[in-house]
Amino acid sequence: MLIQLNQKQSKLKDELQEYFESLITPALRAELNNPAHFEGGGPEFKQAMRTMGADGWIGLSWKKELGGKELSPMEQYIFVETVMRTGFPFPFLTTESVGPMIAEHGSEWAKDEIATKILRGELIFGIGYSEPNSGTDLASLQTKAIKESDGYLINGQKMWTSLANFSDYIWLAARTDFEAKNHKGISMFIVPTDDPGFSMSAINTLGDVRTNATFYDNIKVPDTHLVGEPNQGWSLITSQLNLERLALVNHGPVEELYKNVLKLAESTKINNDQYLTDLSWVKRNFAEVHSGIEALKLICWKQTWIMESGQLNMAEASVAKVYGSEFFIEAYRLLMEIMGELSLLKNDSELSILNARLERMYRTASILTFGGGTNEVQRDIIAMAGLLMPRTR
Amino acid sequence: MDFSELSYQSEVRESLDKILAQQCTPDNLKKFDEDFKHDEQLLSLLAKNGYLGLGVNEQYGGSGENLYDLGILFERLGYHAAPLSMIGCLVDVVQTIQKFSDGKTHQSLIEAIVGGEIHTSAILEPLNQDPENPLTRAEIDGDNLIITGTKYLSELASKSKSILVSVNSVEGVLLVLVDSSKVKISELSTTANSPSFKVDIDSATLDRSAIIHSYGRGLEALRYLLQINMVMRSYLALGITEKMTSLIAGYTSEREQFGRVIGSFQAVSHRAADCFIDLECLRLVNQQAAVNLNTNLDCENDALISKIWAGNACHKISYSAQHLHGGMGVDKDYVLWRYCLLAKECELINGSASQNIDRLGLNITSNQ
Repeated sequence: MLIQLNQKQSKLKDELQEYFESLITPALRAELNNPAHFEGGGPEFKQAMRTMGADGWIGLSWKKELGGKELSPMEQYIFVETVMRTGFPFPFLTTESVGPMIAEHGSEWAKDEIATKILRGELIFGIGYSEPNSGTDLASLQTKAIKESDGYLINGQKMWTSLANFSDYIWLAARTDFEAKNHKGISMFIVPTDDPGFSMSAINTLGDVRTNATFYDNIKVPDTHLVGEPNQGWSLITSQLNLERLALVNHGPVEELYKNVLKLAESTKINNDQYLTDLSWVKRNFAEVHSGIEALKLICWKQTWIMESGQLNMAEASVAKVYGSEFFIEAYRLLMEIMGELSLLKNDSELSILNARLERMYRTASILTFGGGTNEVQRDIIAMAGLLMPRTR
Repeated sequence: MDFSELSYQSEVRESLDKILAQQCTPDNLKKFDEDFKHDEQLLSLLAKNGYLGLGVNEQYGGSGENLYDLGILFERLGYHAAPLSMIGCLVDVVQTIQKFSDGKTHQSLIEAIVGGEIHTSAILEPLNQDPENPLTRAEIDGDNLIITGTKYLSELASKSKSILVSVNSVEGVLLVLVDSSKVKISELSTTANSPSFKVDIDSATLDRSAIIHSYGRGLEALRYLLQINMVMRSYLALGITEKMTSLIAGYTSEREQFGRVIGSFQAVSHRAADCFIDLECLRLVNQQAAVNLNTNLDCENDALISKIWAGNACHKISYSAQHLHGGMGVDKDYVLWRYCLLAKECELINGSASQNIDRLGLNITSNQ
C-alpha cells in the first residue's frame, strides 16, 4: 500500500506545470476568456496546439511504434490533471482517444494523413455518437452508411457534436448492418466537415458552451475512411470508455478552484477586523469540499492504478463517474455560498472574482451527471458488478 | 502508487475471517446481547494465533509496526460484529506506548497485551468536547502525581489491569498509566451494549514513572492517540458498513414482491449502489490515513477526514440497510440490528462527523 506519486511522476507534474505556464501567453488567455473560444478553435489556440505537437506533448497515450510517448495511465492522469488545472481546452478526445484508434486501426491513408496530423496538433475531431433518438441507448443509433462499390454513402443526423464548428473531421458512428442486433451493426468513419453534404446548426447551452446538431446528407466517403473492420465499431467506441470517464472526473480542476477560493476568502474582509474565513459556516463549507476532494483524488488514483496493473474493474470506474460528477455540483454550490453574491458576477463585469470561474463552472456542472454514460446506468453497473445484484429493468 | 495488499496481509484477512466466522455465529452473538459483551474465548484465540500483535513491533512479539495491518484487524472485527472492544487496549495503549515510551515497564506491558492481557484507556470526559484539553488534573508533588477527575466510555475497564489516562498539569498534558486498583470503576449501559465504564479518580497518588512519554511530549502523544483512535474506529466502521451493504445485496436479491426480486427495481439497486460508493470512499480515506500515520506521527487532517467519512457512512448505510430490509431489519432474530447499534456507536465516539468537519475547517483556514 503506497498512496503517493513517485519521484518520476512528481517530476513530470512539475515539468508539465512549467511547460503550460510558458505555453499560455496573455494573448491565448484573453482568447480563451471569450465565450466564442471557451472550447478552443481560435488562432491562438491553434498555434498552441501546433506548439504542443512540435514539443511532443500530443499522443501521450499512443504506443511508441505509432509515434506516441506510451505514457502509463498514471502519467496520463497527471497530464490531464495539469492541463485541466490551467483551464486550457485541450482536445483530449481527438488526441488521446480518436487519434490512437486511427493510428492503430485506420487505413494506410488514415495513418499517414490523419494520425500524423493529429500528433502534430493540426487536426481537431468532433465526436459523432449521439442522435436525436439515441442517447443513453447509443447502440440504437440510426445514421446509415451504405456500402457502395468504391466507398460508403452516409445519411443521418447527430446531436451534441461538440467542436464541430471548428473541427476538420467528425469521428462518426454509423449503422452498416441493418439485420444485426443493435451494437453488432455499427462501424466507425472519418467524415470530412468540408463535404458539401455536411451541415450543422448551433446549440447554445446553459454553460455558454456551444455544441451542434450535425447533418449528413448523401456524403460519400472512400473505403479508406472506414476505421477498423465493418460492423466492429462498437468495440472501438467502448474500448477507451474507462479512461475517458476518468478524465471527466479528474480531481485537478475542482482542487484548483477550492485553493483559489480559499486564498480569496482568507483575504476578503467582512468588517474592520474579520475575514470571511473567520466565519464558522465558511470554515465548514471549506472542510466539506476538502474532505470530498480527498475522496475523489483517491478514487481516481486507485482507478488509474487498476488500469496500470491491467485489471478491469467496472464497478470502481462507475463509482468514480457517479461520485465525481455529483460531488462537483455540491462543491461548486458550497464554494459559491462562501463568496455569496459576488459569485453571480460574470467575467466582463466590474467587481467579478476569480475570472468569474465560479459563475461559469456551476452552469456547466450538470452535463457530467448524464454525459459520459448517465449516472443511472453507472449505478446499475455498480449494483450488478460491485454488489452482484440482479439486472434492473 | 500501489493500492494492493501484500500477500501476508491478504492471508491475515482470510484467516482472521475464518476464526471470526466460526466464533461469531448468530447463536454465539445472541449470548452476548444481554450478557457482558466480551468474548474471552475469542480473545484468547486471537492471542494464540498472533493477531493481537498486528501493528506491533517485532521486539514485543508483534508482526511489525504497520497501522494498515492493525486496520485489517478492526475492519474484520467490525464485519463480524465481534463481541470484543479492543480499541482502548490495542490502539490507545499499545500504539501510543510503542511510539512514545522508552520505559522498560511500559514496553513489557505491550508484550503482555500481545499475549492476551487486557489494559485500556480512559480519555473521554463527560461534558468535555475537547479531548486534547482534559479536565482531569494531576497535581505534581515532588516525584508524585495526585490525579483527580472523571472519565467515561472506557472500554473493558473492569477487566483491565491498568488504565491509560490523559490529564492536565502544570507541565501541560500528560498520559499516565494508572493501576486500576486506584480508581473507582462503574459500568455504563450504552446503546450497543458495549462493555463501557465510568472511571472516577479521586486523588490517586502515583509515581512519576507512570507517565508513559518523555518530558514535554504529552500533548504530542495524546494527539497521536486521538488520531490513531479515529482511524482505527473508522476501520471498525468500514467493516460494519461493509457487512450492512452485503446484507442489503443478499437480501434484496432474494426477497420477491410483485413477482420479482426487489433488487431488480432500480430504486432499490440505486440505493444499494450509493452505499457501495460511500463504502469505497471510506475504504480509501482510511487507507490514506493509516499509511500516512505510519510515517508521520501527526496527520490530523487525514484522521479527521477518515472519521468524517466513517460517521457519514455509518449513518447513511445503516438507515439504507434498515429501510431496504423492511421489517427484517429491525427483527432481533436477524443479524442487521446489531450492526445498526454498532454503527451509531462508531459514528459518535471520538468526534462526530459535524464536530470533525468543524475541526477540519479550523485547520485548513488560516487567518491573518
